[in-house]
Amino acid sequence: MKIKEYVSLTKTYRFSAGHRLYIKSLSDEDNFKIFDTCSNPNGHGHDYAIQVQLYGEIDPETGMIYSLQELDNIMSPVIDELDHKRLDIEVPYFENAQPTGENIASYIWNKIKPSLNDKLIHIKLSETSKSYFEYYEEDNYPYEC
Amino acid sequence: MEVVQCANYAILLAFKGVFELMGFKKLLTKKMEFSASHRYWNEDWSEEKNLSVFGKSAGPYGHGHNYNLEVTVEGEVDAETGMIINLVELKSVMAEVLVDFDHKHLNKDNPHFKDLVPTTENIARVLWDLLEEKLQGNPKCSLYRVRLYETQDLYVDYWRK
Repeated sequence: MKIKEYVSLTKTYRFSAGHRLYIKSLSDEDNFKIFDTCSNPNGHGHDYAIQVQLYGEIDPETGMIYSLQELDNIMSPVIDELDHKRLDIEVPYFENAQPTGENIASYIWNKIKPSLNDKLIHIKLSETSKSYFEYYEEDNYPYEC
Repeated sequence: MEVVQCANYAILLAFKGVFELMGFKKLLTKKMEFSASHRYWNEDWSEEKNLSVFGKSAGPYGHGHNYNLEVTVEGEVDAETGMIINLVELKSVMAEVLVDFDHKHLNKDNPHFKDLVPTTENIARVLWDLLEEKLQGNPKCSLYRVRLYETQDLYVDYWRK
């Protein structure tokens, strides 16, 4: 059996944002029943950390699987759109999608996937130190889960 | 008839036990910190190309990081010691390997990076080779993964199988 080499690189980007989880057609009281304190009418915020995991072969000339400068260039506009914003008011996508960790993670994935292609294998969005959300394609994930 | 059934049942139980043990993966991870400086530079390239590809990391005097190495080994748990590997042994293996890395300028002081850019990926690969060689003396465990943090916001995983 041939031995195969596996290399992944994970870089963390951070942003702070506000949000409110609520269904527009429901009363504040009914929203509280579903979303609890997350439906506070004036919103609340978190320090988010998004970990972007790339996978590939080490380029013999650069010693890297992907240029970190290029990764920063791809991530920078995505982070800028979210950083220090009220997501459900100031970011158009979240006017019609709940700004939950699940939805923010898949939104970021879809934004960066076309640039990173198969190199992108996993993202992990931490909302607080006690909850995080992962998003990846099962068929393109080299780790044993 | 009953005796045969009992015997069959015992065999089944024995198989079940073996399969249950086989179904579990046992991993052990130890962390160790080291500090080193490095410079991203490819001798075959012009200064201009080095600066455009490596940016700030190509500074002429190098710069440094506090690296955190996490070494994961897999194996069976020894019935007597209750361990996959004695942590004292793993600690000394890691410490020996890191002698050439800790408080060193990797490009200048570590022969592995004489002609190899000391990126996090390449350092992880070199560390895997060195650790695997040292752990070969222990038949009960094998290297599973090397995770190397360059900063708290950047890490590389490296493994071979």
